[in-house]
Amino acid sequence: MFARLCASLLPSFPRKCKVTASAGWNFAGRLVKRLGPHSCFIDSATGHTIGPEELPRLIAAYGTSLISAGLRGGDRVLIGCDLSPSSALVYLGAIYAGLVAVPVDERALITSAPMLVEATSAKAAWSEAGWGREGTCKPSVICLEGDLARDSAGIIPPADCAASDLAALMATSGSTGVPRFVMVSHGNLIANTEAIVRSQSLAANERAMLILPMSYCFGASLMHTHLYQGGGVVFDHRFMFPDRVLRAVAQYGCTTFAGVPTVYNVLLRRSNIRRIQMPGLRRFLQAGGGLARERIIEMRELFPLVKFYVMYGQTEATARISCMDPDRWLEKPGSVGQPLDNLTISIVDEQGIAVQAGQVGQLLVKGPSICSGYFNDVEETRRVFCSGWLRTGDLARQDEDGFLWIEGRTGAFLKIRGLRVSLAEVESRVAAIPGVYECGACAVDHPEAGEALVLLIVPDQGARLTTEGIRHCLPAHWTLDSIRFVSELPKTSAGKVVRPALSVLAKDLHGTA
Amino acid sequence: MSDTDYVLSRVQEAFASAFDVDPKLVTMETSASDIPLWDSVGHLSLASSLEEAFGITLDVDELMEMENVREIVRIITPKLSEKV
Repeated sequence: MFARLCASLLPSFPRKCKVTASAGWNFAGRLVKRLGPHSCFIDSATGHTIGPEELPRLIAAYGTSLISAGLRGGDRVLIGCDLSPSSALVYLGAIYAGLVAVPVDERALITSAPMLVEATSAKAAWSEAGWGREGTCKPSVICLEGDLARDSAGIIPPADCAASDLAALMATSGSTGVPRFVMVSHGNLIANTEAIVRSQSLAANERAMLILPMSYCFGASLMHTHLYQGGGVVFDHRFMFPDRVLRAVAQYGCTTFAGVPTVYNVLLRRSNIRRIQMPGLRRFLQAGGGLARERIIEMRELFPLVKFYVMYGQTEATARISCMDPDRWLEKPGSVGQPLDNLTISIVDEQGIAVQAGQVGQLLVKGPSICSGYFNDVEETRRVFCSGWLRTGDLARQDEDGFLWIEGRTGAFLKIRGLRVSLAEVESRVAAIPGVYECGACAVDHPEAGEALVLLIVPDQGARLTTEGIRHCLPAHWTLDSIRFVSELPKTSAGKVVRPALSVLAKDLHGTA
Repeated sequence: MSDTDYVLSRVQEAFASAFDVDPKLVTMETSASDIPLWDSVGHLSLASSLEEAFGITLDVDELMEMENVREIVRIITPKLSEKV
């Protein structure tokens, strides 16, 4: 029966993913083959479980349904992700079928579908909840929702793909609020997944607790690595109530927990992590910005038998770039570890010339997991990607043992709740507010958001500005630490704002507040 | 104004401060799915706003129960009588 259905579907199967000497690079195809007795998807809130027999069939069935809906190889599919097994099935099914998966936040998809369709030229959009009355899915787009396996009549084999064929477009937070999409190939995914697996010594019986969205490369890579090794994934969208997640870690025997700095800050300050036993846990993973050493020490002391991995990465590098061996963390606290074993790094000065060992410069990375560029953005691609090298925009140094230390950003950015925000963008938005003469913005550490904004504002003469009034003119997701009204900003003789001096001034004012 | 109405009106103000939403749109039935910024970080901002507005402290277990506005009002109301 299965063979007959395959045969009947094969002749019309799209060949955008070309058959080449390197056929067999289909990432999801490989992943499906590697699923094992421990593979599963579990929805933590409902307990619904997809077991090892069902999972490979469902991934293929979802892929088949997408093709049956009229999509062809290389077509882009927007996927509303809400930390659920079904959105993961659509994502993996799309890649399996040779389509290009574009995972985005479910709420963003519902509210901004036309913008996302335009930015990605998507042919279809899938929403778990359905489009309902609010749905603004364009008529030209195939709107899909809910369970796709329900209508699937048969199952197709994985599309034959070359390493360079696109598998996914991953959104990266553009500072302007409009996402930029990184083009991730099947080869990128395979290379990064395998390198991460090696760096974390993942076994075949692992189970990840996934609280990070799949539309974020860290969340996606957590799922990829665990499935690739034959393990399982527990999806939990309830981190608002961290105790429930911690109890689910214990209940479902999760071996890996991953979070950004905010997650660990919340766990240590606003959860019962000290009381909830999680005996199966083997490792914590942390990436997405620097977590204070004191918090890492606290976590290590609370869980002496659980390895705490600090990692560093970028969406433009598929996901991860370096990983800190937990056993060497005490030797190198503050380092983001060594580059993954299939990456080459270079640290260069402003002229692009390699700096001397131990000196700080911009970190460049090269290797099979470095993506080819941004979708439909030639200019930005040219700026960031050059002859296979990724210009990370991060200032770093490498010590004599090969460990990387991130020292700052070349561009003036801060990360609020994991989203990159340009200080120049903040300054121009604030400066546009009536009554503001000029504004200097800088970042301070924030216990929940990671970093928050301090605004130094020079008011127009006679203007009556209030903190509340300024706050209302800014996007709600820009976490503000404080606003200070000053008579002038520190500047060079050329009239350029001196950023380091701005930070010092902000700290001084902070101290006297 | 009943105790519940009083608490609700102050809760609405705390929501406006934490999430920059119109306080009139916050009802007893409002839950996290109705407010885009009410996520794990937003929950903590909301907790701080509530603590400040009512002069109370919310412990970790109470934070875990604050699933919707009705629960928030239920948790806060007895704390106010304890203060008196």
